Order: sequence, then structure tokens, then C-alpha cells
Amino acid sequence: MSDTLLTDLHVKYIQNLGKNKDDLTYHMTAHLRMNAVYWGLTALCVMKHKDALDAEETIEYVMSCWDDEAGGFGAHPGHDAHILSTLSAVQVLAIHEALARIDVTRVVNFILGLQHPSGVFAGDQFGETDTRFLYCAVSALSLLGAIDRLDRERTVTYLASCRNFDGGFGRVAGAESHAAQVWVCTAALAILDRLDVIDVPTLGWWLAERQLPNGGLNGRPEKLEDVCYSYWVLSSMAILNKLTWIDSAALTRFILSAQDSEDGGISDRPGDMVDVFHTLFGVAGLSLLGYPGLDDLDPVYCMPASLIERMGLKKGWKALPRRL
Amino acid sequence: MVFDELLILTLNENKKNKDWSKDALSLTTQLLSTHPDIINPEFYTIWNYRRNILINGIFPISSSEEINELLNNDLAMTTKALKVHPKVYWIWNHRRWCLEHIPESSNSSNTQEWRLSTWEKELFIVERMLDADSRNFLAWDYRRYILSSMPVRRSERAELAYTTKKIEANFSNFSAWHQRTKVLSSLWASGEVDRVSSLQKEFELVQNAMFTLPEDQSAWLYHRWLIGSGDDKSILEREIKVIQTLLDEQPDSKWCMDSMVTYKLMLLNNHLPRGTRESIDITNQCLTLLAQLEELDPMRCQRYRDIGGCKVDELSSLKPSLTR
Repeated sequence: MSDTLLTDLHVKYIQNLGKNKDDLTYHMTAHLRMNAVYWGLTALCVMKHKDALDAEETIEYVMSCWDDEAGGFGAHPGHDAHILSTLSAVQVLAIHEALARIDVTRVVNFILGLQHPSGVFAGDQFGETDTRFLYCAVSALSLLGAIDRLDRERTVTYLASCRNFDGGFGRVAGAESHAAQVWVCTAALAILDRLDVIDVPTLGWWLAERQLPNGGLNGRPEKLEDVCYSYWVLSSMAILNKLTWIDSAALTRFILSAQDSEDGGISDRPGDMVDVFHTLFGVAGLSLLGYPGLDDLDPVYCMPASLIERMGLKKGWKALPRRL
Repeated sequence: MVFDELLILTLNENKKNKDWSKDALSLTTQLLSTHPDIINPEFYTIWNYRRNILINGIFPISSSEEINELLNNDLAMTTKALKVHPKVYWIWNHRRWCLEHIPESSNSSNTQEWRLSTWEKELFIVERMLDADSRNFLAWDYRRYILSSMPVRRSERAELAYTTKKIEANFSNFSAWHQRTKVLSSLWASGEVDRVSSLQKEFELVQNAMFTLPEDQSAWLYHRWLIGSGDDKSILEREIKVIQTLLDEQPDSKWCMDSMVTYKLMLLNNHLPRGTRESIDITNQCLTLLAQLEELDPMRCQRYRDIGGCKVDELSSLKPSLTR
């Protein structure tokens, strides 16, 4: 267990992820590959090691996942287009300033075609709906400079219908509040400049109550802590300017305690197997908490803050000041 | 561990060639179900391919009886998979797709019978899934979907009774309390249940939980839902008294104090004129409680300071000598 961030080990861990292509895990996680590329790259950016992975190779990989029939990106070459992998592709290309490589019109049409009359988005042609997919649509359209083509009113109406009495949001209308869904809804509302839909004191209270005595955060009342909620909860609090409502020192200690101090990477909680998903969300949480030596992360897009600012998309969030 | 690369290659090839034959279907079955604990049920592209084979290749040459049977087979197959992977979105999604494709029979009473029996079975399965994990939000979401799409709508009172059963089995099951907020709202809106008289019973239920497990968030959250925005002065005053009794028994109960502050502030904001002796007294009681909370719950001390800070400003604007 370490009390500092083991940046070099984490960088090495991420570099090695794509190398063992004969490994069973590599195949078993193919359906998440595009997301994993985005998680790894963003974690590297936050740790100021963007160049640890070859940019051209990454871009080539992303482009090899294009599903020409649907007009979106799949999770791996040969996989069907889905909005989850399409957003990741757009994010990775934006980070590498390579958005010009794609047919923006087709991607935008693919995304817009997934909106249902209620305002929610489906993930693909088979129609599973979820506020996660709504966020993917809003975020990707914004990154592609096409947010004006979205039916904002319908989108916001759906988001408002997912709001619960505890201030939080669920997966679909009627569903229980869940920290990850709170983030997707809060961040989508931030992009749409409609944070007025949120009951800030109530949601701020609900988010603050996610912290457990060991410093970690859970995603729902009376559930276990998990490093990934460091991001879902903290990013929502940063957007609502309520980051001071939890104990940042205790959370920092918890995230650091979930590092693998031998082979790098961060796990869901101390002692478990690491993965790139928890590595990003651990590092992302630390960045929002002002951990020294990290780059700023934009909690609305979960991308490097400097890039979002350059793209002219920055919203009024507030992270804790960077410590020296 | 088994990973059948050849099978995946064959499937990808078949998919590319739009092979919508029965042989192709059985290959997808092999991948998705032969080894539910080994083969990856998250391979969404193969689920998609399976649905495309059914829609484009199999259904057009099948009678409605046969289609109904095929869909029931898929439901049975995914029941097995769910037991091993209760939190895989794609499996729940496939079930829903099956339900949406149950065909019309040439004999309309058959159709009705198919639907009735399928939906009844789904309700039974989702109850078993919630017996295994009463907080599985995918199962709860599916349950709400089943209830809202039943061929003959079940009375919402039955669902209210279901939440009572789940809550009484475990007061800590916030998912069941959440469901109760949705069901009761609907019953009140339709007039099927009288709001005023049922509210009394709800307070009794939740007080039982609060007094049994005062440190558990679930009941306090539900209590806050019952209070709402605190429009009813007599309910607010009565509940403040009830919580005071519990606080006298449990002087270190954070949730007692936090709720007390919230409700007293509602009393101040909604029902008491500013500057009166009574409102100044209540404000001071809140400030005392907030100071205690800062000590008792240091992780969230800034939230208590922020709430107290507003009240101190308000008091000083009235009469500086009255502040603590």
C-alpha cells in the first residue's frame, strides 16, 4: 500500500494493456476495447504522459472500428456500432486532434437517429434506453460542434423526468438514483446550460452522504464503496460547486490505498484486481481533489480540461485547488 | 478457461455475409449459452446478430406459434445466463426485446394467453432475482418495465404490498423504499388511495424503521420524501417531536440531528414570520445542532458550516446580539 500516486507504474500498466493479445482477458474484454482505449488515454493525459501510447497507432485503431453500415463506431473491429463506443472514439480523436479523420455528418446523423420521442436515447438500433446513452449523445454532439442539431427541449424534459425526490437521477424515468446516472444527467444538463433543473442543496446533500467512514464513496445508500464513484460523485459535486462537502483527505487516502504497488493500476477497492476503468476514475478523482502533479480534468466531459477550454466548451465547474 | 476463437471467427464471417440461417442461429446459441460461466455474455454484437437472424431469417419462415416458442426458448436461455451474470445489461435487454416481439396469433385468445403466461413468468423470475439481490437495480428497472407493459395491468396496490414485504424483510433496502415513493405517488395521483389517510400509515412504517436502525439512511430518506417541501405545518411539528424523542434516546444520532435541522429550517422558511421570538429561537436551535453535527460528522463539516453560515447572516441582519 502506498501513500503517494505511483504514476510511473500506472503509466507502464496502461502501456502494457494492449500488448498481450494472446491473453484470454484481451479477448474477453473486446466488447469494451474502444472504451478502454479512451480510459487509458485519458488517465495518461491526467498523469501528464499523453505520449506514452503512440498517437498514430491509436488513431488507426479507432478508425478500424468504424461500422460503415451504421455510421458509428463499434467497440472493436467487426463489432456493431454503439453509442458507448462512438462517444469514446470521438473523445480519443478529439484528444489527438484528429476529428477531421471522420465523416462528422454521418456520425451526427447516427447519434440523432437514436433519440426516442420521449427524448431519451437508445444505445443502438435495438433500442435499449438509458440516461448514459443520452449523455453520450449530448457529449459527442457537443464535441463534434453539432449540439445545435439536438432537440434540447425534448432532451431536457426527459432528464427532468428521471429526477427523484432525493435530488438524484436514475437510469430511466422511475429508476432509483445512482451516482453514475447522477453524473451523466448532471453533466448533460451542464452541457445544455440547464443546471436549473437540479435541486442543488438536495443533490449536494445526497452526494455528500455517499462518503463512508473509510473515506471511499458508494454509489447508492447503504452500498459498498468503490473507487469509480470517486469520479461519478466528485465530478457531479465539481459541476455543482460542492466539492468541499466531503472529506477530500480521507478520499485521497482511500483511492491511493487501492493502487497495485507492484504492477501498477488501481482497483475498485484495496486488494482487488486492477483494471483500466478504475485506474482512470481513481486518477480522475485525485485530479479533481487537487492532488499534486496531475493535470486538470474537465468534470463535464471527463477529458483534459485544457483541451475542452481550447475547444471553447468549458462550463462553470470548480475543482479543488491544485496542491504543490 | 475456454475461449473458442474459431467459433468467433466463423460467426464474424457469417455475420458479414448476412447468413441468417438456422445453423448461424445455433452458432450464436453456442457462443452465448453453452458455457454461460465462461463465454462472454457481454459480446453485444453477437446478441445483435442473433436478433437479426431471428428477424430476417427465421421469423419470416415460421408460424406465429413457432415464433412464440423461439422467443420463449430465448427467455429460458437468458434465465440461465442471468443466474450467473445478474448485472449484465445485454441479457436483460435481450429479454425485453423478446417480449416486444411476441407475435399475434391468428387466434386472438391464443395471443392473450401467450402474453399473460409470459408476463406472469417474467414477474416470477424478476422476483427470484430480487430475492437473490434485493438491490439489483437492473432487476428493479426490469420489474417496472414488466409491470408497466403487462397485458392485464396488475393493481398498483399489489406492488405497494410487494414493497412492504421487501421493506419489512430488510429496512435497509432503499431500492424498495424508492419503489414505494413511485407506487404511492401514482396511487395518490389516480385517487385510488387517499393521500391524507395513507400518509399517517406511512409515517408509522418509516418511524418503525428509524427507531430500529437509526444509523441507516434508507428510512431517513423515505421520511424526507414523506415530508416533501414541508407545506403542512402540523405534520412538520409533529415529526420534529417524534425525532426529538429518538434523539433523546440516541443523543449521537447524526441522522436525527440532520433531519431535525432540515425540518426546522422548513418550519422557519415556510410557516414562521421572520424576526419573531419563536423564529429566532428555532434558528438558534438549528445553529446549535449544526455545531454539534460539525463535531459528530467532521467529513461533511463544510456542508453544516455553509448551512449555518446563511442562518448566521440572516440573524445578524435582524439583531446582532442574538447570534451565538
